[in-house]
Amino acid sequence: MKNFARAFALTMTCALALPAFAQDKPVAGEVKEGSLKGKTLTFVSYGGIYQDGQVAALQDFVTKSGVTLLNDGPTEIAKLKAQVDAGNVTWDVVDTADLPPYVHCGTLFQKLDLSKLDVSKIPPGQVGECSVPAMNYGVVLMYKNETYKDNPPKNWVDFFDTEKFPGIRAIDGSGDPTGGLIEQAFKASGGDPRAMTPDDIEKGIQKLRDLGPDTIYWKTGAESQQLAESGEADMVMMWTGRAMTAVKNGAAYTPVWQDWLVVMDQMTIPVGVKDTDAAYALLNAYLGANAQAILTEKTSYTPINLDAKPKVDDVTAAFLTSTPERIGQGYQQNIPFWVKNFDLAAEKWSALLSGN
Amino acid sequence: MTAIPDQGAHTGSERPTFLSRFQLRGAVWLAAPAVLVLLVALAYPLAIVVVRSFTDPAPGIDNYIWFFQSAVNRNVLQRTFVVAAWVTLASLICAYPYAYAMTIVGRNVRLALILCVLVPFWLSGVVRTLAWVILLQDSGVINSMLRGIGLSPVKLIRTLPGVIIGMTQVLLPFMILPIYSVMRGIDTRLLQAARSLGAKPWRAFVQIYVPLSLPGVYAGAIIVFILSLGFYITPALLGGPRSTMLSSLVQNQVLSLLNWGRGGAMGVVLLVATFLLLAIAAPLMRQKHTSNRREA
Repeated sequence: MKNFARAFALTMTCALALPAFAQDKPVAGEVKEGSLKGKTLTFVSYGGIYQDGQVAALQDFVTKSGVTLLNDGPTEIAKLKAQVDAGNVTWDVVDTADLPPYVHCGTLFQKLDLSKLDVSKIPPGQVGECSVPAMNYGVVLMYKNETYKDNPPKNWVDFFDTEKFPGIRAIDGSGDPTGGLIEQAFKASGGDPRAMTPDDIEKGIQKLRDLGPDTIYWKTGAESQQLAESGEADMVMMWTGRAMTAVKNGAAYTPVWQDWLVVMDQMTIPVGVKDTDAAYALLNAYLGANAQAILTEKTSYTPINLDAKPKVDDVTAAFLTSTPERIGQGYQQNIPFWVKNFDLAAEKWSALLSGN
Repeated sequence: MTAIPDQGAHTGSERPTFLSRFQLRGAVWLAAPAVLVLLVALAYPLAIVVVRSFTDPAPGIDNYIWFFQSAVNRNVLQRTFVVAAWVTLASLICAYPYAYAMTIVGRNVRLALILCVLVPFWLSGVVRTLAWVILLQDSGVINSMLRGIGLSPVKLIRTLPGVIIGMTQVLLPFMILPIYSVMRGIDTRLLQAARSLGAKPWRAFVQIYVPLSLPGVYAGAIIVFILSLGFYITPALLGGPRSTMLSSLVQNQVLSLLNWGRGGAMGVVLLVATFLLLAIAAPLMRQKHTSNRREA
């Protein structure tokens, strides 16, 4: 009897809800004219030209749907947790780094209903349970031409070989550990990154520690760019966007594409947002080919819609990671492993970064 | 035992006897806005931090056990105090002569000196720190100059000395201003009196002037020391792993791992350690001060 009641209630709910959502399968980039009139969405990202580019990419969505789009940032998972804990979530769509949506899936971020999104044009393997990609970029090894001349490093193993390739290394110390880098360090110490165990994290970290006290852990993307432009470091682990800007600004460095680390920002909908469907509409519009082309033109990040045709200059094009060649060279970290061992890795990473 | 009689040169030293009960009540009201702000913006959040450190994720002292069991935490806590002590010392060495100079020059020069102290206040700490990056880095201004005059470059950026230099510059006003305000009140005729009794200039300075200026030194030192303990941006940008301070570890726990209880416990440990240190230092300061006064 109870079951019947529940089934009946469900049917009634569906029947009542259907007219409101009775629309065709969503198409990335499309939104119904005037469908969000009078509504407000708050979009949260990391500011700077990146968020400006995202807002430009969403302009068409704003105009068509009639929604009022507010911007906030930068993204702080701690702030989001405070909102969710307090039951007062004011962030409707949040751009995050790559792991948080996996670590906090279902607790801070909603499990996504993929029938409300068109994910068919997203590069394979990038849709998570709680996230779609916001853009792609890479982490590349940039080496100083003057230092290595005819005998440049060819991959991350060379990066960790201070005997054959002496020189100062600079590593991303801006936040959470980069799983892909620890995997490469573990590989350089003779291990197989595909068979890593939690104990092996320390071995990878030790390889980083062995690089010596001269190693620079940069704190911001701007700092990494500055390290290349001033020539302070001989090998710099860099985000592709910053690498490109450094080269445009005259840094005589060359990227190593073999095993470049695939990274992405994620688009998420927090648990407890006031209007979930409006948030889905924004996500779906964001995934469109046009929106993604605009995003790339404004930010130089790689679009996550395979049909996007951005018009960019040669240097920008050289740093896009979506060409077949680049996709073949990329190295994807073992996301489930790092999600499972997130706390352990973060603790060891923090010890390394505090000189212990 | 109070410090008030020391300031014998102050014209207002008799004022307390005129303070009626009415004025006292007025004083309470005058302090009310500040007290209110402190309660809302400091006491309440601080209480939450303390409570969380004992309750998040489970009631008990697990967070504190974790803190003291971790060698990383203990090292960094110790380093934080060492860096703060160095910065306090460096600030004092720079600030004392500067503040003294401010008291002996003419009005216009003094205005210029005050301006030099205050200008850094109007700039964001981040901007100043980034300026130090440009100055200190291996290919930076300082090392270029050293190379230019044929000397070998020195490693400054991402070293402890680099962090201390940067923090000292940021905190210098907090040392100069309290010292200056005390020095301004020192009656220089006391020095003349000492001279007339046969003391050499340096002796008059060390035995009369310096003890009288000590309240300003203590005030400045305490402010600079406590502010140093919580520094985050400057050590992060100018330092390397070996100059990381506790605030970076707190940031990591709170923002990246969402372990608010642990982050809270770290903050509480730092706060309690600071109080303890002040509690030890305060009587020493007072004692030293009175004994000097007697000698004088």
